[in-house]
Amino acid sequence: MRTLILLLFGLVPILCRAELVELPVRPGVIATADYVAGDRAKPAVLLLHGFLQTREFPTVVALARSLQDAGYPTLAPTLSLGIPRRKQSLPCEGIHRHTMEEDVDEIAHWVKWLKARGNKTIVTFGHSFGSLQLLVYLQQVPEPAIKGYIAASLIEAQTGKVARAPLVADLESRVRSGQRALVTHPLSFCGKYVSTPAGLLSYARWDQPQTLAALKKAPVKKLLIMGDADPMLAPGWLKALAHIEVPVTVVKGANHFMDGMHEFDLVEQAIVFLDALKAPPR
Amino acid sequence: MSRLPPLSIRYLALAFIVGLLALTGLVGTMAGYQTRSVAHSMAQRAQDVARTELTAAVERLVGQMTARAQALAEWDETRQQLVMSEYYTHWRDHRVYENRMINGPGNRVALYAADGRILAPTATGPAMPAVFPGGWPADRIIARLVRNGNATMLDIAFPLFSDAHRHALLGHGILRVDFMAALLEQNTLHFVDRNSIRLHMTANEEIDAADLLSRLTYAPLPNADQERFLSILSRTLIALLGVLGIAAVTGLVVYNRLLVRPLRRLSLDIDAMQQGGFPTEGMRTQPMQIVELENVRRSLYDYQLQLHKLHGSLEHQNREFRSQARQDALTGCYNRRAYDEDWETLREEMKTAPQSVAFLLFDCDRFKAINDTYGHARGDRVLTLMADALVMALRAKDRLYRFGGDEFATFLVGATPMQARQIAQRCQNLLDASVFTDLGINEPVGISIGIAYCPANEVEQVDDLPKRADIAMYAAKKPGNDRIAMYGEDIDAASQTLVASRETSALFQALSTPGMIEMHYQPIHALPERQIEYYEALARIRYNDALIMPGAFMPVIGSRRLETPFDLAVLQQVDTDLASGQLPRGCGVSVNLSAQSICKPEVVSQLLELSRHNDRHPLMLEITETSLITQMSDVRTYLELLRTVKYRIAMDDFGTGYSPLRYLVDLPVDVVKFDISLVNKLGRDDRAGRIVADFASMMGNVGYSLVAEGVETEAVLQKIEGLGIAHAQGYLLGRPTPLAAIAGGVASTARRA
Repeated sequence: MRTLILLLFGLVPILCRAELVELPVRPGVIATADYVAGDRAKPAVLLLHGFLQTREFPTVVALARSLQDAGYPTLAPTLSLGIPRRKQSLPCEGIHRHTMEEDVDEIAHWVKWLKARGNKTIVTFGHSFGSLQLLVYLQQVPEPAIKGYIAASLIEAQTGKVARAPLVADLESRVRSGQRALVTHPLSFCGKYVSTPAGLLSYARWDQPQTLAALKKAPVKKLLIMGDADPMLAPGWLKALAHIEVPVTVVKGANHFMDGMHEFDLVEQAIVFLDALKAPPR
Repeated sequence: MSRLPPLSIRYLALAFIVGLLALTGLVGTMAGYQTRSVAHSMAQRAQDVARTELTAAVERLVGQMTARAQALAEWDETRQQLVMSEYYTHWRDHRVYENRMINGPGNRVALYAADGRILAPTATGPAMPAVFPGGWPADRIIARLVRNGNATMLDIAFPLFSDAHRHALLGHGILRVDFMAALLEQNTLHFVDRNSIRLHMTANEEIDAADLLSRLTYAPLPNADQERFLSILSRTLIALLGVLGIAAVTGLVVYNRLLVRPLRRLSLDIDAMQQGGFPTEGMRTQPMQIVELENVRRSLYDYQLQLHKLHGSLEHQNREFRSQARQDALTGCYNRRAYDEDWETLREEMKTAPQSVAFLLFDCDRFKAINDTYGHARGDRVLTLMADALVMALRAKDRLYRFGGDEFATFLVGATPMQARQIAQRCQNLLDASVFTDLGINEPVGISIGIAYCPANEVEQVDDLPKRADIAMYAAKKPGNDRIAMYGEDIDAASQTLVASRETSALFQALSTPGMIEMHYQPIHALPERQIEYYEALARIRYNDALIMPGAFMPVIGSRRLETPFDLAVLQQVDTDLASGQLPRGCGVSVNLSAQSICKPEVVSQLLELSRHNDRHPLMLEITETSLITQMSDVRTYLELLRTVKYRIAMDDFGTGYSPLRYLVDLPVDVVKFDISLVNKLGRDDRAGRIVADFASMMGNVGYSLVAEGVETEAVLQKIEGLGIAHAQGYLLGRPTPLAAIAGGVASTARRA
């Protein structure tokens, strides 16, 4: 009987639907997330989408479903990017006032929320630019509950072909002079990213060296899952990652989104990583 | 059921054409009505389609705009502006267009904070309300039409919530479009005239989009195909009507030329033919263009030609016949028919152009004797020569008519009595000069001429001329006259005396009044028994209780030529007497009959009727004045006929000039009655007495039954008996006695027996 009861309890998280979580992150701005409690014995996974995307991005949805199926508590937030209850991906041409700092702050809110929901062991799992944002968070906000970091298709903040230094200098100049005029500049996959100078500057600082440094310094167990057919990756990025001695799993033939059959590779690698983490005692 | 009067083919054709045109007009009117009905239906259909299309377009526009507003409301960047409105104008002026949330420079969107204030006033384009209208619902999307200046704006107001449960209202948005421009830009109006669409709103008026359709006016787009179809249909109908009209008029003209005119011509020709005319131009020379009519024309013309020829032939023959009918075949002069016609013509002419006329009547003396003596051929030749002589004696323009037998007549127009007498005398002279010896006739052949004259101022007496000439002619025949007598004072005086006399009046009254003629019967005794075998019926006229004897009225009969009527009256009275049964059965009755009456059919008919008494009373006819018989063959025929019904024929007054011996040969005579003059000679013992006695004996020997009249003495009676004469009659044996007396005598004899 006890076995049966335990079995029923064990199935409850699986059978439960995702919970929509709304979390005020700033005045007037409420961020939302899907949360599945999962197995309390397993580390909670905070899944973060890519640049300007939402938790409804296919790669994220697939990962979340797989992890939930595997019994992992998952929290898949959508960064508000300054929009209350944002539920749509923001176009590049949209007015981007958000900054890396605000993104990190929202991540911190969600980590706190996870912890408030009793998740002592947390693994952050980001895709693409979300991996970078999680990485920045790990660097800037040390959180003991976070035990692991998984990055799929981790990339730096790409700013196009122009030299980053002049750009950063220009942006810093604008910020210092208090200019609020929107600027349009390539960022990540956006050819014309419209943003405030401060917002663009906050992202533009995260070039490859900054990223590698943060990755190296991150005080958690890490796993990088990269596709060798990812066109978004800057040349030599995989080699650079290898140089800092961070575990990197390269999925043959996978692109930036790890879709198709590569999705299973991604999930398999992630679950292996998660399973390897020892869940904290309750 | 009364039949309609015949109609003219022209009117029939006209009625047909008018009917055809009326029918065409009716069909055209109906077609026009149907066309208009179809056009109206199509127009109504177009109106409905236009309304449906416009309604759909409006609903589509409102729906599209509502959907855009809904999309705007759900667009994250919209909510972003209400949270951080720093770059609101960039979003409003660029982002919404870049992101195709709205399109077109005429479309604007404005966002309002929760307190209703606009985030930023519009700088260009349509002005947006500075404050979200307070009366508009705040919790749902609404569509309103706002009249703004000259433009009508469609405003879609939508609420903006920050949560899915629509609890946290961030503000509002208004999507504004120029309604008419947006409606027309849809470019989906195919049945509505875009230029006709009008939205009727007053300045600054604001209505709900649901009431929009009631404010719209429009006109359906003209359907080019429909208008082309109707135009073609109308032109076709007009052309059809025109063609029919032209065809009708042409048909009427052709019909009139080919049928009506020829038929009318035929009809007129036929009418002319009926009037006796013969068309020589139209029918003959102008051929008709319709084969059947041409055949009719030819047939009719040929028929008419033949008829005309036949008519001409008949006319010729008719003239021949008429000429022959008016001509006496024997003498070549005009006959009685020609006389009747010419006399009637003269009478008519006299009424308008009075002129004197002398009527001459010629009669050959003793022609009967000549005819009997020398034969009919010579008699006819005598008549021919006599006619030739008379024609020669007459004036050139005078015509000689033969009445029959030896009687001729002529009338001399414009002649004086003297001229008439001279012409008559010339006639006698020429005839007297004529030589008949070549014919073997040695005795003289003469004529008696009666003349009657009517002066121009007494034309009313012209009808009496023939009668007067007849009287004059009889006067001329009397012995002692010079054979020419003019009806004049002496004859007229005698005639007037006769007419004025009591006997004349009695005679005419008796002829018209049955019973006035009273028959007295004188016995005829059979010898030598001296028994009554016959009674001779002798006429008397009882007038004013007195008897008028024959000696008094017979001259009147002679002068008035009343022999036949008188004889008919006598026969009627004899018939009555015989039917009364008062005469003893077996006694015969002898009736006197004038020679003029014996050839009259009515007399013969009366005799045949009377013959029914022959079984009871043997009947005998006594023919008097046989010398006046002109138509011997006819008389003989009639007498033979009467003998077949048992009449015995007696020749009366034998021995006088009226009963010559030669007539005894030709007539079927059974009995010869010796005139009293001969009987009286029997009583004398001289040569005359012997001749008569021998003659009587001879006649008795050849089979004639003899009757001696006027026996008044016993000596004569004995002499008669001695001669073997079978019958005797006279005062010695019995006077004429009324029938009643005879009946009474018979009755007393019977009683004595």
